[in-house]
Amino acid sequence: MKLLVAVKQVAALDEDFEIRADGRDVEADFLIRDVNEWDDYSLEEALKIKEAAASPVEVVAVSVGPEDADEALRKCLAKGADRAIRVWDEAIEGSDSIAIARVLAAVARKESPQMLFAGVQSSDHAFASTGVATAAFLDWPHAAVVANLTYTPGGDTAVFRRELEGGVLHEMQIECPAVLTIQLGINTPRYASLRSIKQAAAKPIEVLSLQDLGIAAPDVGESGSLSRVRRMYIPDKGRAEMIEGDVEEQAARLAQIIKDAIGGAA
Amino acid sequence: MARDPKHDILFQPLKIGPKVLRNRFYQVPHCIGAGSDRPGFQAAHRSLKAEGGWAGINTEYCSIHPESDDTHRLSARIWDAGDVRNLRAMTDHIHKYGALAGVELWYGSSHAPNMESRATPRGPSQYASEFETLTYCKEMDLDDIAMVQQYYVDAALRSRDAGFDIVYVYGAHSYLPLQFLSPYYNKRRDGYGGSLENRARFWVETLEKVRKAVGHDCAIATRFAVDTLYGQSGVEAERDGVKFAAMADPLVDLWDIDVGDIAEWGEDAGPSRFYLQGHQVPWTRIIKQVVKKPVLGVGRFTDPEKMTEIVTKGFADIIGAARPSISDPWLPKKIEEGRYDDIRVCIGCNVCISRWEIGGPPMICTQNATAGEEYRRGWHPEKFPKKTSDDSILVVGAGPAGSESARVLMERGYTVHLYDTAQKIGGHVNSIVTLPGLGEWGYHRDYRELQINKLVKKNRQSQVALGQKPMTAAAALAYGAEKIVIATGSAWNTDGTNCLTHDPIPGADASKADQLTPEQVLEGKKPIGKRVVILNADTYFMAPSLAEKLAVAGHDVTIVTGVHLANYMHFTLEYPNMMRRLHELHIKEIQNAFCSRIEAGRLEVYDIWGEGSKRSYRGPGVLPRDPNKTQRWLDFDSLLLVTGRHSNDALHRELKDSKAKWAENGVKDVYLIGDAEAPRLIADATFSGHRLAREIEEANAQFPKPYRREVAVWGVSHMPEGSTQVEYQT
Repeated sequence: MKLLVAVKQVAALDEDFEIRADGRDVEADFLIRDVNEWDDYSLEEALKIKEAAASPVEVVAVSVGPEDADEALRKCLAKGADRAIRVWDEAIEGSDSIAIARVLAAVARKESPQMLFAGVQSSDHAFASTGVATAAFLDWPHAAVVANLTYTPGGDTAVFRRELEGGVLHEMQIECPAVLTIQLGINTPRYASLRSIKQAAAKPIEVLSLQDLGIAAPDVGESGSLSRVRRMYIPDKGRAEMIEGDVEEQAARLAQIIKDAIGGAA
Repeated sequence: MARDPKHDILFQPLKIGPKVLRNRFYQVPHCIGAGSDRPGFQAAHRSLKAEGGWAGINTEYCSIHPESDDTHRLSARIWDAGDVRNLRAMTDHIHKYGALAGVELWYGSSHAPNMESRATPRGPSQYASEFETLTYCKEMDLDDIAMVQQYYVDAALRSRDAGFDIVYVYGAHSYLPLQFLSPYYNKRRDGYGGSLENRARFWVETLEKVRKAVGHDCAIATRFAVDTLYGQSGVEAERDGVKFAAMADPLVDLWDIDVGDIAEWGEDAGPSRFYLQGHQVPWTRIIKQVVKKPVLGVGRFTDPEKMTEIVTKGFADIIGAARPSISDPWLPKKIEEGRYDDIRVCIGCNVCISRWEIGGPPMICTQNATAGEEYRRGWHPEKFPKKTSDDSILVVGAGPAGSESARVLMERGYTVHLYDTAQKIGGHVNSIVTLPGLGEWGYHRDYRELQINKLVKKNRQSQVALGQKPMTAAAALAYGAEKIVIATGSAWNTDGTNCLTHDPIPGADASKADQLTPEQVLEGKKPIGKRVVILNADTYFMAPSLAEKLAVAGHDVTIVTGVHLANYMHFTLEYPNMMRRLHELHIKEIQNAFCSRIEAGRLEVYDIWGEGSKRSYRGPGVLPRDPNKTQRWLDFDSLLLVTGRHSNDALHRELKDSKAKWAENGVKDVYLIGDAEAPRLIADATFSGHRLAREIEEANAQFPKPYRREVAVWGVSHMPEGSTQVEYQT
């Protein structure tokens, strides 16, 4: 019995940052990397099932990304994931969530898990589509924004709850294998001890190429995506102005601004 | 990041007499316990602030003559060439960083007890100090006045020679010039008493003389308590205050404005328990309206928004600060660099001041563990030596000691796991801040929480694990850390154990429904009855704070205290208003009384001086005094046991007991810090965590390395050409 957990090494902005020369992303040097917050909860949910199981359950963490994604995977290993897989190929650069889902679906086919968990969304791009798109490629049932899960390993179905508006809960049953996107707060993610962090540093991470997964290069990257980034920019600030100088100068400037605003009637 | 342009005004230079302040940040004179006796401490502490961007930095009060000797408290002194040499270390170091150095010339009159010099203080009229014990001054005649004014002039000349840029005539905190000005002290009927012009004469003449002596070379400042807060029996801002300011304005280059007196100078250095940032602005602005010279105001300014408001609204030209400059010597630099959330905000606890009030030990700071350690331990608050090993460290307990230790270890580059059962960094500070008036103490927690959260982003191996199960010795050993720091804090005694009997009190048991520890009160789960008795043997804030909290909530509160209630709050200047608060809430205090036993709903109280005064030998097994027969019962609905604390050191003991297993688990050493080692002030707990983090590579890092001492050296004379021979008059 196997559970597959998709994780992403997300980017957060540093206090100061610059937009990349091509105007389509932030310059990488200004990004702080970390594991997507939702994925901590997905992993914890898988680990909880593993720990409660009577028969062995294998938890496999998977990430699509360059080498720096290893940090996210090592964190999963430290917390108790059994294996970690990273998929990367230069051709994947520029993929949107649909192209990433295509890659994750290929990994799922290879691994044949009973369930695939993904975060509801990633904190950096926030499309909230990778998980459900993966289900579409797999033609598996799926459910989004899962806030509570009851699943006995090996079972053909799982029961879960989703939070709707006004405090209403939606309890549903789903056929397995399935893809669930996991909401924050579904559990309390654990911390890794120093010992397990050190042990995780020595564990292997399986690196798969597109070829290993039987994916053609044009099916990923910009050519394999349904959307593309036109530009990333900071909108112009408002027209606030700090009026400086002594009181007279400030008054004169203020009077000028008012005159300009009412059309220069003098 | 650059600073926000709206704060530019704080960085505009300002001319004061012949000198220029490079910006509007100014460390007003404040004590540190260095004076002219510890020149290294003085030079390092003050110049660190010059490095941190302050434009003007002052000594503490600096005595002009042996007639103004504040022993046992520690002032600076500029009595002779030996003092000039020592203070020169401070001015030289400040000048290296482009700031101005100031000296606050001080003559205390009756408020200086002259216990070292044995000189007779002189004053405007003869009075007994309301601040000192048993100190009277001699009323000055006209010769005396001329002589003391010359002391100021001579001291000013020595100050110039020592390299000072700003020379003060200190007239705040009820020292001599203000004593002449205030009818509270000045009862004279000659040309120096009576009318305002006469009462101002001493101060004005002194300013004239000092200005004439050094005014071309130095800026002349005066520190003026513009309102002594006694109404018409003292100085009032809008009466004598503004008139004196207008009169003396041509003679000064800088006005340093505050309020209050010496006996209750907590009205100036207002603790956060009672006063908000900027609390003196209503007085400062009155003076600013009548003078042409630059005005600086104080009031624990830590927030650049508030500072900007003060300057832009014209309440003051310069932001004066003592406590905020101790808490964060780099405050101006951090504002300039736009690092607003790195500011270590003063919590207003006044523990810095407490050390001067106690009598001059080196100043300490709750927020800034490096304060006072700059020279003797070589600690810089913003610079940390890089780690010297790849050891990873587990810190158990995220209270003041644990969080500070973790922060400094992380700054040094170590991988640190900070572990706590609570959901939030801060330990007991998280509950203390819910006590009346103590909200700002939470800045201690906030600074560490914010810095640690930044640091764990820089080193992904580090981690803050909150809301965890209590750590066991087995789990700590297996955790994978080479070094384990135990910072598990302390707890209030549940059995009445106290500093008077050193034993539990029969019947004391906080597991009973009608008895509570402070933690149980703060937790708010246990019901508390109408009639509350607080049994106190603690000398700081817990008993009065709980009394205030419960009285405000409608309980009838009686404090039975076997020690001087809130004694330490004298030192933090919180005492007077704390007592006023207890009084207005009708809280009863039974002093010099303690408890012999407790039963359901009542405790037996006795007077601690109730046994016989005559001591005689009466044989073995018999007390040498007549027995205490003052016992009587006092009823309560709820009894609060504020009798003492004990360390939560069980985990440390277990780890020490399992020393044989350390090596097999890769554990090199285990340390104990903060209240878990011994209950203490938050400042000292923070220090212990900081100290360990700086010295953790030492072979026996549990115990501090020796620090560099500054003491008089045999064979080296204080006076440049002096002798150290033992010589007698013949």
